[in-house]
Amino acid sequence: MKAATLRTFQTVHTWTGLIAGFALFIAFYAGALTVFHADIAAWQNPPWRSEGDADVSLATLIERLVADHPQTKDDFGIVLPSDASHAAYAYWQEDNQTRFATYSNMASPSDDEGHAGSLADFIYALHDSLGLPVVGMYLMGIVSLLYGLALLSGVVIHLPRLLGDLFALRAGHNLKRLWQDAHNAIGVVSLPFHIIFAVTGALLCLFTLLFAALNGLAFNGKLYEAYAQAINTAPPRTSSHIAAAMLPPDELIDRARQAAKGGNVSSFEPDYLHYMHYGDRHAVIEVRGLSQHTLGTYGTVALSAVDGSVLAMHVGSTHTINGISNSAMYALHFGSFGGRIVQWLYFALGLAGAFLFYSGNLLWIESRRKRRHIDQPRRTRVMARATIGVCIGTCLGISGAFAVTWIAGYLGVDAAWPQRVACYGLFLGACAYACIRPIPRAAVELLLATAVLTVGVAFADLICNADMLIRDPSPQHHSVLGVDLTALCLGLVFMAFARAAARRARRGDPHSVWALASTS
Amino acid sequence: MIARYLAGVLLGFPLAAWLLRLMLATLPHRGAEWLIPALILFIPLWIALIAAAFAFRNAARAWVAFGCANAAAFALTQWIG
Repeated sequence: MKAATLRTFQTVHTWTGLIAGFALFIAFYAGALTVFHADIAAWQNPPWRSEGDADVSLATLIERLVADHPQTKDDFGIVLPSDASHAAYAYWQEDNQTRFATYSNMASPSDDEGHAGSLADFIYALHDSLGLPVVGMYLMGIVSLLYGLALLSGVVIHLPRLLGDLFALRAGHNLKRLWQDAHNAIGVVSLPFHIIFAVTGALLCLFTLLFAALNGLAFNGKLYEAYAQAINTAPPRTSSHIAAAMLPPDELIDRARQAAKGGNVSSFEPDYLHYMHYGDRHAVIEVRGLSQHTLGTYGTVALSAVDGSVLAMHVGSTHTINGISNSAMYALHFGSFGGRIVQWLYFALGLAGAFLFYSGNLLWIESRRKRRHIDQPRRTRVMARATIGVCIGTCLGISGAFAVTWIAGYLGVDAAWPQRVACYGLFLGACAYACIRPIPRAAVELLLATAVLTVGVAFADLICNADMLIRDPSPQHHSVLGVDLTALCLGLVFMAFARAAARRARRGDPHSVWALASTS
Repeated sequence: MIARYLAGVLLGFPLAAWLLRLMLATLPHRGAEWLIPALILFIPLWIALIAAAFAFRNAARAWVAFGCANAAAFALTQWIG
């Protein structure tokens, strides 16, 4: 490739990386935590501190739904809880809007799926839309596209030296070389993982817009119909208008599980029910479940809700090509296909991804460093402040959300607003702090604050729950323990980063934005 | 830079859409069984076209080449119906 073309791609890589990098850092850090969505939910509501409605049976929830909203009988869904301390909720379409309700708020359903006050849902919202409704989602879609472009241009510029430099990590006097090697090695080794995120991330965020554009442009307005057909798994059945008694939902779930396991998957954990023509002789229930060790993770078994006979099955290898592609897209994005090992792998790769964007910014600053001047150029100082404020501010804000959720749980108050105020407040506070404080001091102090907050919450939770963690026999206590121990480890990592930054500020090359000499 | 980027974003989008439509049309049942993989493939195809626009020596060449490719792809989709 010509040198001029390589230079163009270098510029494309730098600028797409810088523009998208900040949002991607937030998406990757929050995304790495979102891998353990169910465990964070269990941490907030352990078995000894259950959510309201957690003890309401599925049959009671459905009876209340069809009694209060009889028009939903033809088509409604039930989202099953991730564990016994959480509540199931119903959802249906009304006036072109989706409504959600648990048992006790059936009279006043909400139009927001996220559980108010759920920490796991809040972190997920930060991951997919920075917590900003609608606009945030589209913004992250555009960021995903830029991310794809940064990946592609990064591979093009790195291609000539790809194999030779892959395992090189040249630690020495040339700090830029070390950062460059670390950035390249992580980028290349985790490339398949990053391609998955760029593609599925863009698709999940921009789906509605893309769909509308493709429909008009290339599918003569027939895309919606073709898509509905492609993902449809329910057998076609019309209402008979003859009433019939329904089998209890728990029995139908058991039958679906048996049918799926009798097929070709090793596990099938139901997470969602879809009823059609409830109370009718032709009533159908679709049970959706999560299977492991297959790319077709989400599968469905359709049964007659009257006698429990299996009407259709789309599980594991019985998926169609469309079905398995759709299912694989979610499985690969959320890392839900291979149990705990894959979850930990996704967690590690997610944090490594956040590091990739952080190190990219450091590289940009390092390559513009003036080697003989104590005063560094204004643009590198601005970039250093922005990198510290946004990246460490994100970690601090999320640890803050954990802290207030923990306090709200103990005081018995709703955590929804405190979470937002703590997270955004600490984030904005960190950004402001990074703007006014000398750069090396801001980096060390913000890292220390994050370390102290993260370790503090984990420590407090461990001490307060110690007797329950020993006595409680349910598997959720592993989740609580896991979240606390992971937070302790992360806190220690932040502490180590703070020490390293402090050492760099005192003893490193004084001709740098990171040195105390440049600011004193 | 920006002009080439815009050529990739604005002309790469319809080009990727029509290329996928043509690909689906060559499959049995007009590709009904491959619709979701095709929709997933749209994103990398679009990104690759945006990147390809930067390989042109200048923006004018990128706009002309992408314009011609769009016209050809559109004509083909109309022809196959």
